[in-house]
Amino acid sequence: MNPNPPDNPQASTPDLEQLLCRRDIWRGGSHRFVPSSTRDTGYVGLNAQLLGGGWPSGNLVEVCQQGFVQSEWLLLTPALTDTQGLIVLLNPPCVPFAQGLIKAGVDLERVLIVESNNKADFLFSFIELTRAAACEAVLAWQPMQSLNYTELRKCQLAATEGQGLYVLFRPAAAAEQSSPASLRLSINLQAQDLQVRIVKQKGELQIVNQPVLLPLPYNWQGFAPHHLLDQTGKPTSNVVHLRPQRGGRRGRK
Amino acid sequence: MSKRATSRPDRLWLALRLPDLPAHALAIDLHTDAALAIIEQRHVVWANTTAIASGVGKGMDASTAQLLSGCVHQERDLSSEQRLLAELSAQLYAFTPYIETYTSQQVPQSGLLLEISSCLMLFGGVLAFVGKVLRFFAEKNLTLAVGLAHSAKAAWLLSFVHYDIHGDENKPVFVERLQRLPIQLLHDYPVQVGALEKTGFVTFGDIARQIAAQSISSIKKRFGQEFAQTLCDIFGIDQDFQQPSLFEKPVVMYKPQEFFNEEIQFEYPIHQIDQLQTPVEHLLQQLADFLRKRQWETHQIEWTLADIYHSKEVMPIYADTAQTQWQLFFDLTLIQLENRDLPFEVDRLTLSCRNIQPIQAQSQLLEFGSKRKHNSQAFTTTAAKLKARLGDACIYKLSYCDSYIPEHSNQRIALNHPSNQQLPDRHLASLRPCWLFKSPIEIEVRQRGLYWRGYLTLLSGPERLQGNWWRTPSARDYFLAQRNDYVRLWVFRDLHKQQWYVQGIYG
Repeated sequence: MNPNPPDNPQASTPDLEQLLCRRDIWRGGSHRFVPSSTRDTGYVGLNAQLLGGGWPSGNLVEVCQQGFVQSEWLLLTPALTDTQGLIVLLNPPCVPFAQGLIKAGVDLERVLIVESNNKADFLFSFIELTRAAACEAVLAWQPMQSLNYTELRKCQLAATEGQGLYVLFRPAAAAEQSSPASLRLSINLQAQDLQVRIVKQKGELQIVNQPVLLPLPYNWQGFAPHHLLDQTGKPTSNVVHLRPQRGGRRGRK
Repeated sequence: MSKRATSRPDRLWLALRLPDLPAHALAIDLHTDAALAIIEQRHVVWANTTAIASGVGKGMDASTAQLLSGCVHQERDLSSEQRLLAELSAQLYAFTPYIETYTSQQVPQSGLLLEISSCLMLFGGVLAFVGKVLRFFAEKNLTLAVGLAHSAKAAWLLSFVHYDIHGDENKPVFVERLQRLPIQLLHDYPVQVGALEKTGFVTFGDIARQIAAQSISSIKKRFGQEFAQTLCDIFGIDQDFQQPSLFEKPVVMYKPQEFFNEEIQFEYPIHQIDQLQTPVEHLLQQLADFLRKRQWETHQIEWTLADIYHSKEVMPIYADTAQTQWQLFFDLTLIQLENRDLPFEVDRLTLSCRNIQPIQAQSQLLEFGSKRKHNSQAFTTTAAKLKARLGDACIYKLSYCDSYIPEHSNQRIALNHPSNQQLPDRHLASLRPCWLFKSPIEIEVRQRGLYWRGYLTLLSGPERLQGNWWRTPSARDYFLAQRNDYVRLWVFRDLHKQQWYVQGIYG
């Protein structure tokens, strides 16, 4: 209900200039809405593509990817190892492996896992976590029931209350739907690198279609198996053929 | 050194020894005909008259006691004994404010010591006072042995021998009675008693004569300060003080346990949860005020909702860390209320808080990382809210647990426990994924190769992890595999089952 008297329309209707001064109104190509604080992603190429030169703090970052897990740690570990506060994993699809995280340089003491049973609990937890000043990073995986625009908007609003890095992982199909997130990315794993495509970025109307390629760790490339070491130059199949073994541990007949 | 026996007519101690306390704590019927025994560390500490008649004695091995009498034995419950003593102290607070608890580490003899000199006028003398106390214990069917003396320790010793109380006893009478007691009653000093017996001391009278002849210093020199002080306390000897009243040890005043219990009665029955918010807040603010004034804190509060027909519903609220403020309990209460419907129209709301502790008593982990400590403290409120909504098991941390089996090395721990991050060299040198499946998932072996949501190519490996031979032997060859959508997986071949599994994802 409008509290102002109807006979004074000037007072009740804000003018355009007032509206344009609001930080939540997006003015296309204007870079006035560059996030006030950002975090280094750890990748020069990605920093160059992001307004402010890094992950926006106090905003919802949406990452769409194929499958239920792909390359979250690869994408975010450089930024996470740089934080001092708590890193909360909300609704992770698998169990984080302590050995892997320790090797990746993540401080286990600061990693908390929160499991929510349904969408309502997920939203409650996300909002509470973003309000907690101690949570410097919240990595959330969408629950089984897909989040609608209103629920995503709640997450975005909650994120603006905090100063941390708030990332929501969603399936690749969600990239085609509208979302109020400030930054939306689509990631895709390749043979040699991780392809990151910016779908939407608040403050930038024209999105550069050229994806950013983040190199995979060298030890993920693997090496030729022992029995192929003396066959350099010969064409090899990239699939190991395994047949039922009938005798001996090494397949001796 | 001079010894000086001081006159302390103003102090009178009543010892209430409970010889059957182990049985009372376990609610054992003392009048049963069956042979019963209570054991502690496989030795009998208490036996009823039937068992004793069959030859069971204190200190006897439990098996021997059972063979002798066929008695049923139960394990001693020390915490119940302490609880019973605390209850009795609270009730005896009606008689005197000076109550001490006596518990022996050596023998199962416990009881209470009451300083009664200040309340004799109120109750009409020693005889009337002791009569009231005896009736109090008789009503509770508790076996009691009483001792009256000038000091707490002397009264305790005299409780082992029955003397009729006339009300006109004085210190010389008590000392004279003490001198007849055997020194074995000093149960807490078995070494010193053994040494005294070897040198010919049999009764307290022998010790008193030794002190009269050579002063207490000879005892102190040989048996130590503590034992000498105990003898001084028993005989009421003050050592070389010109004005002993100045150095008189003050009697400890019993402090009954306080608790918070407040209620609000509504003018009309409440049937909506929203209407409860204001009274809940009001009661919690009263609780916070109560805690602040006493410098206390609490982990737990309890709400009781009641209607006009005296139906009740109790709703306990727990917080991870002790609280002095009301805000967290308010949030947790609202979360609890949101999760349930009111069972009836609420007429009365009661808040009670019994588990209270002093703020200073809390222990904290010694942490030098100030930021980390700040994080854990700042997150306490959020964690409590999440636990209230999702359950305790839904929020946790991870820790490394040294094990050869990867799924066993990943340990869930509570938020307040420190994580172990010390990886052995064998893991540090190897490639490990960041995601792990709760249990390994079988991989299909197809004509074209391994298949799990896509065909797999082994990129590197094997790394053999084997161990656990003392339980279920395990031997696995681990590989880094690439699926046809380029997802890297951690797969292994179980050498015992001859089966491929996928266990983790490199993310």
